[in-house]
Amino acid sequence: MFRFRPGLLAASLVPAAAIAAQGSPSPSVKQAGKAAINIPFEKYTLKNGLTVVLSEDHTTPTVAVEVVYHVGSKNEMAGHTGFAHMFEHVMFTGSGHVPYGTHDRFTEGVGGSNNGQTYYDWTRYWETDPSNYLETTLWLESDRMGFLLDSLDETKFKAQRDIVKNERRQSNDNQPYARDGEVISLAMYPNGHPHSWPVIGAMSDLSGASVEDVKRFFRLYYAPNNATLAIVGDIDRTQAKAWVEKYFNDIPRGQPIVRPKFGPPTLAGEKRLTFEDRVQIPRLTIRWPSADQASTDAPALRILASVLAGSRTARLTKPLVYDAQSAANVNAFQTGFEGAGEFSVIATPRPGHTLTELETQVDSILARVKNEGPTAEELERAKAGQEFQFLNGLQSNLGKAFELAEDQTFYNDPSYTFRVQYPRLQAVTAADVKRVAAKYLGDKRVVLSNVPMGKTDLASHADKSTVVTDPLTEITTGIKP
Amino acid sequence: MTRIFHPVVAALASLTLVAPISAQQKAVQSGNTSKSTLDRTKIPTAAKAADLRVPSWTKATLADGAELVVSEKHDLPLVSFSINFVGGAAQYEPPGKTGLGSIVGQMLTEGTTHRTGDQISNDLQLLGTGIGAGVGSESGRVGFTSTADKFEKTLAILGDVLENPSFPQEALDRLKGRLNVQLLQNRDRTTGIAGVVFPKVLYTTDHPYGVSLTPETLASITRDDVASFYKSYFQPGRAIITVVGDTTPAAAKAAVDRELAGWASGGSMPKFTYPAVPASKPTTIYLVDKPGAAQSTFAIGAPGPARDTPDYYAIRVMNEMLGVLFQSRLNHNIREVKGYSYGVFSNFAFGKGPGAFRAGGDIVTAKSDSALIEFMKELRDIRGPRPPTDDELKQAKASLVQSLPENFASVNGINASIGQLYVQGLPQDYYQQFARAVNAVTADDVVRVAKTYIDPDHLAIVIVGDRTKIEAPLAATNIAPIVHLDVNGNVVDR
Repeated sequence: MFRFRPGLLAASLVPAAAIAAQGSPSPSVKQAGKAAINIPFEKYTLKNGLTVVLSEDHTTPTVAVEVVYHVGSKNEMAGHTGFAHMFEHVMFTGSGHVPYGTHDRFTEGVGGSNNGQTYYDWTRYWETDPSNYLETTLWLESDRMGFLLDSLDETKFKAQRDIVKNERRQSNDNQPYARDGEVISLAMYPNGHPHSWPVIGAMSDLSGASVEDVKRFFRLYYAPNNATLAIVGDIDRTQAKAWVEKYFNDIPRGQPIVRPKFGPPTLAGEKRLTFEDRVQIPRLTIRWPSADQASTDAPALRILASVLAGSRTARLTKPLVYDAQSAANVNAFQTGFEGAGEFSVIATPRPGHTLTELETQVDSILARVKNEGPTAEELERAKAGQEFQFLNGLQSNLGKAFELAEDQTFYNDPSYTFRVQYPRLQAVTAADVKRVAAKYLGDKRVVLSNVPMGKTDLASHADKSTVVTDPLTEITTGIKP
Repeated sequence: MTRIFHPVVAALASLTLVAPISAQQKAVQSGNTSKSTLDRTKIPTAAKAADLRVPSWTKATLADGAELVVSEKHDLPLVSFSINFVGGAAQYEPPGKTGLGSIVGQMLTEGTTHRTGDQISNDLQLLGTGIGAGVGSESGRVGFTSTADKFEKTLAILGDVLENPSFPQEALDRLKGRLNVQLLQNRDRTTGIAGVVFPKVLYTTDHPYGVSLTPETLASITRDDVASFYKSYFQPGRAIITVVGDTTPAAAKAAVDRELAGWASGGSMPKFTYPAVPASKPTTIYLVDKPGAAQSTFAIGAPGPARDTPDYYAIRVMNEMLGVLFQSRLNHNIREVKGYSYGVFSNFAFGKGPGAFRAGGDIVTAKSDSALIEFMKELRDIRGPRPPTDDELKQAKASLVQSLPENFASVNGINASIGQLYVQGLPQDYYQQFARAVNAVTADDVVRVAKTYIDPDHLAIVIVGDRTKIEAPLAATNIAPIVHLDVNGNVVDR
């Protein structure tokens, strides 16, 4: 769900990596170690409601500029899935005073970069540039925030719609196992729940989007009062503030936003599904509804994920991949969103081993963790890398901009990760891990078997598993517009 | 799976077309069109760019023959450590053992005479880091990044891993089993198939650049092969140790001297000699069938120049405007204007030998023929019919020169930047001279190197896609004859 292929930035979507908060170097960080996990910043709000976060770091003569809009696929309705992301692409087709191509001209064309990304709860846009181009990047970002519709072009919109369809083909339809998530989400969330469809959307919905849709969406959600601007790097704060004032201050405030409200998934029990894919090796995914990103249970779920998988000696990895060698690989992760969360275990069998066998092994190991919790050493190992990850992240202006702006967006506090979340992770106890394992990893879950075409008998407990064919058809046909 | 178009769904979609995307939008009456006194048509002028600051480093030769390079960066308590090896799989793998180097890299952390694989893993987890070891085609690396206070303890484990690996048989068997699964999964992806077939078509399996890991070579690899590759390859005589971050040359040397004390001297720099590439053939489409593919993966190219070509900078500038920048000719045309793809690119592999030129990307099945026409048009145009504009030239140069500082932002970035100089045999002032060399490239140079290194009449066009849908349209373009290959790159009957 990027404007184009993101390279390493994809890691920012992986929840485990999100533990690594980002911050700028300050003398205190180095001296005091753990006690001084910190990113110095300054925050203020313009009269139109735009929140601005500035952070200086003069290590390299570069600057990162990010604008986060608090809108994502969560704000869509059934029948219009994928629109928030398609809109992101439109933001690169030029605006009132910035002809198409100029955005790339003053980022990549001067040694920088730009991209955009859409997720359930947010859409973010960023530039990295040599720091002497800061004013130019602010001119670029402010123009599309204020004047996108002045130059909206039907031809360019349609081209981007085709490109987004290609993105869907490339990242979902033509990728083995990539549709598993769509199948599971549709089963896990009730009809009409915005987490029941993927951010990229359904192909038929993409075809139906119009220029009028773009205009309405822009007027409501792309207002300064729904956005946070972060500027991180080699900046003079006084000068940066003057430019922010110059370019953003006259963009009018929009209407107050009503955030979508939805309840937790209402799974009555276990759902067992089989999806046929163009693969040779089957794969098992078990996913539970879990805690949302702001929940005090989220840190313990993250620790639980590293206790279960990720390292050679983890609870699932050692027995399945190293001892019994029934699995080629196994993965576990906690994903938190605004108002929703998911915990997943994914395992790929070695030839000669079955998904049924893997599920049995996973369940028996989970039962033990729920009963006994992790050992003190397992807990220590799971936490030990966090200080390093935090410090390592401080080296990236863009990484720090993401952290500051998104924390501001969701918690009204740019320092939330290092002030609240990091200490919470450090404070997680074995009892916490045991408790969240028992609380969330119960029988209300979706078990999906991805199997080669025509081999539905390879599903885990195939006799109890329902074969699903084309999951996204249900999104557009199953819900009244 | 390609979504099938259902008339029922389409009817519903058109009904909902006028509905708001979100419930709240019904209420939006007017937009936030602004009135402003600011003249936004005026593009801000950038101040003068900061002078390029290239990190400095010290260099010493250790008793065992390895070079030690240290670059200080004290703003954060981090250290990046690498042992870079000159030469790689192409120089040290015996014939028929493709993939051995990569397996040996992974086997290093599977156990030593002092630690089991589990102990290595647990010890490193407690230090908050991990040791990476890998052998590429022409270089290898063993290294880690850690907090400064964990540097020496991590280095002690690295020393053990480097000097005393035990190569357990069961670990090799397990690794091979997992790699077999990866090989199968790789054949399920059009990009994975193209990654095997394209080099084989260009170089044949008689050239190190043309071979890939196969189930057969994997099966043939034994513990003796692993031990023998390890012994001949991981030697200080071809190693450059790079240490970057919150340390000093003296402290780094003391730590290395202590923790790598058991590393026996030996080894020498490799010779990079390659067999001649196969004689070039008239442009041919090599079609690999992938039934049901939603997109076709394109790989169009030919063997290219080595890294030491005097045309290096001109090629880099040419390639930026051809297929690196977002608004490069290929991506602008095929993605942005035509909408056939999510992104297309071009690349020169360089390397010590004739690394490949490759243009390509993933193309929607129904437009495979149209996209091929556009690829060929752009590859011909840059050779003279459409010479670079002043702005293309300016952007291509600026993108190369002004992106350099970003490489020096992190201890890992600096480490890799310095390591590259040694691995590739580049001068010590390479980064200082880079801007001058790039800026000297002219529009004529761009056209000249395009003519020299991109020959539209002698290209291999590998396309992996749904044959039943794309073969006839591709044939109708009359661009080149079609040869059918299987997923392993072997010719198959029609």
